[in-house]
Amino acid sequence: MAERSDAADEPAAPDRQNALGSSGGGRLDDLAAFFRERPRLRTLAVAGPPYAILVLFFAIPLLAMVVVSFQTGDIGGPWTLSNYTEFLNSDTYLSVVWQTLLISVQVTAIVTVVGYALAYSIVRFSRRTTLLLLLVILPFWTSYIIRMYAWINILQSDGVLDSTLNMVGLPALSLLYSEPAVLIGFTYVWLPLAVLPFYASLTNLDSDLIEASKDLGAGPVRTFASVTLPMTINGVVTGIILVFIPTFGSFITPRLLGGTSNIMIGMVIENQFKSAFNWPFGAAIGMVISVVVVALLILGTRLGGGLFAQGGEES
Amino acid sequence: MQGAAAAGITAAAGCLGGGGGGESDRVPTDVEEWPPENLESNLNMWNWYDSWAEWAIDAFGDEFDVQVSNTGFSSPDQWYSQLEAGNSEIDNIAATTNWVERSIENDFLHEIPVDVMPAWENITDRIKEASSYQQDGKTYAVPESLVLYPLTYNDEYFDSAPTSWGVLWDDQHEGNLCMWDNATVSCQIAAMYTGQDPIQPDDFKEIEEVLVQQKPLLQTYWGDYQQGMSLFVNEDVVAGPLTMGRTYTARFQEGAPVHYTAPDEGAMYTSDLFVIPKGSPNPIASLQFTNWASETENAAKLFETMGYQPAVDISDELSQEDAEFTNWPDDWNLIFSETLSDEVRSRYDEIWTAVKAA
Repeated sequence: MAERSDAADEPAAPDRQNALGSSGGGRLDDLAAFFRERPRLRTLAVAGPPYAILVLFFAIPLLAMVVVSFQTGDIGGPWTLSNYTEFLNSDTYLSVVWQTLLISVQVTAIVTVVGYALAYSIVRFSRRTTLLLLLVILPFWTSYIIRMYAWINILQSDGVLDSTLNMVGLPALSLLYSEPAVLIGFTYVWLPLAVLPFYASLTNLDSDLIEASKDLGAGPVRTFASVTLPMTINGVVTGIILVFIPTFGSFITPRLLGGTSNIMIGMVIENQFKSAFNWPFGAAIGMVISVVVVALLILGTRLGGGLFAQGGEES
Repeated sequence: MQGAAAAGITAAAGCLGGGGGGESDRVPTDVEEWPPENLESNLNMWNWYDSWAEWAIDAFGDEFDVQVSNTGFSSPDQWYSQLEAGNSEIDNIAATTNWVERSIENDFLHEIPVDVMPAWENITDRIKEASSYQQDGKTYAVPESLVLYPLTYNDEYFDSAPTSWGVLWDDQHEGNLCMWDNATVSCQIAAMYTGQDPIQPDDFKEIEEVLVQQKPLLQTYWGDYQQGMSLFVNEDVVAGPLTMGRTYTARFQEGAPVHYTAPDEGAMYTSDLFVIPKGSPNPIASLQFTNWASETENAAKLFETMGYQPAVDISDELSQEDAEFTNWPDDWNLIFSETLSDEVRSRYDEIWTAVKAA
């Protein structure tokens, strides 16, 4: 391996100084040299601001939430474990968590299947990918609440959907205030979040591998299972994470589109902060839910990694 | 530590332009003669009567040469958290009684010199007695309107006004009923239906049982005022709780066949009041605004735009149709929505979570 020649760099310095102006370029060179000689300071200068933002806006609020969750009554009250014991000993709250988990899994499954099919068709069967991707992310340009009210207009009795069905001679569905309405609302809202990582992973997939699989006699299903999915599993896992987490904490969609049987844990937390004024209990529920979500994410990521490794061996 | 940090951040935001001009040295009680002199040039109000606030921005601003802004809110905790963090921005709030009480207890509000305010005499005795806004002989708020939580019903569906909350448990109307996704309101309705005191009930189990029984009859629990009103406007439901103002809007602005009543068991009501929070950068302009809003024609405008009964007697300003809609019969059993004890609030909250999870 050739040794790096410091002498080879020297002629460039005067030219650069001329281009930048002698004093400005000199200062930049001095600054660069200063940091070059102090690698720890350089690391701190580069990584410090992002870490500071993380600490200020993530770690400290999280710590405050942990502290509040161990207090009783008003913030600043005596220390207690009662918020946690009350939550974990309550069949009511645990059943809400279970119901939330079921809805979140259903939403994630639907969004993954629909989103993957959409991303696949954009990558494989269309030339206007930019336009199609723009259409996918277009809903993000409108407020979440407004989009939910739009769905109310579509799904309500005699709304857009029912009117259209009646026009073609089909019976009305009256979906609003039901679990299907909640699933539709969630699917619509999170679909773009899933499509983007799916799309990114599919564009990196070498199409020669698919051709090779076909040449070796694999049908479409076998090719998908043994080549396409394993090669894009990182994107799939990312999409699942991006959908599952916000669904688990949602409270607006089930409140606006759900009927009487669609309570989610996010609604309970919201109620503790806004109506019951029991911030410590709300913080405790939030902490428990955060732990559950992180545990599920670790599990999901490891599962995804395992599948990827397995897929890699097969491919 | 948390409060101090929040106050610091809020103060910094104020210094960066959020406050609208820096805190005045004067406080409202410095005003001993009316009109107050040297109003500040800005007024930042937080008022959830959006349509009225939109009108007031121009009307008050033009009359007193004050630049007015309004921040709408959907829940009082939004401005209350601002006060907890150390207010440096808000000059005037339309606050609900229970939150005014909390704010007074925590020393968040300026005392208001109502004795020198001409419009104070316009406030009716009825609302002065109903609201809770004084402590140790000092007045901290000026009532703005009375807010009734009635039973709203479709007056084409029903031949006459239902006389009992029991209509919300009548399986004859299955699928056409709604409840408010609000632990206090819904549990208090159930308490009244079961013949209990909604402020201090004695049988929480019965309240939970009847709310669980009711659930299959409902189309939904509404959580947003607009959503609640839309249910009646779209005729998705025929009866349920809704505020008086939203019922007025549904009837007169949206053309929905709705009316409201106070069932024999009773109906809850509260009041909204103007307050001037400590830390207000423009307290004297806020004081002038509070007086201005309580003048008869401006209070009448509140009713026309929002449908809530103003704290001022506006009977001379009302059309016959509005007068018929607004006048509450003397024999209605109205119960003031007093601040609940921590125990009752907690039990109501548990019940409501259990009912929704059932």
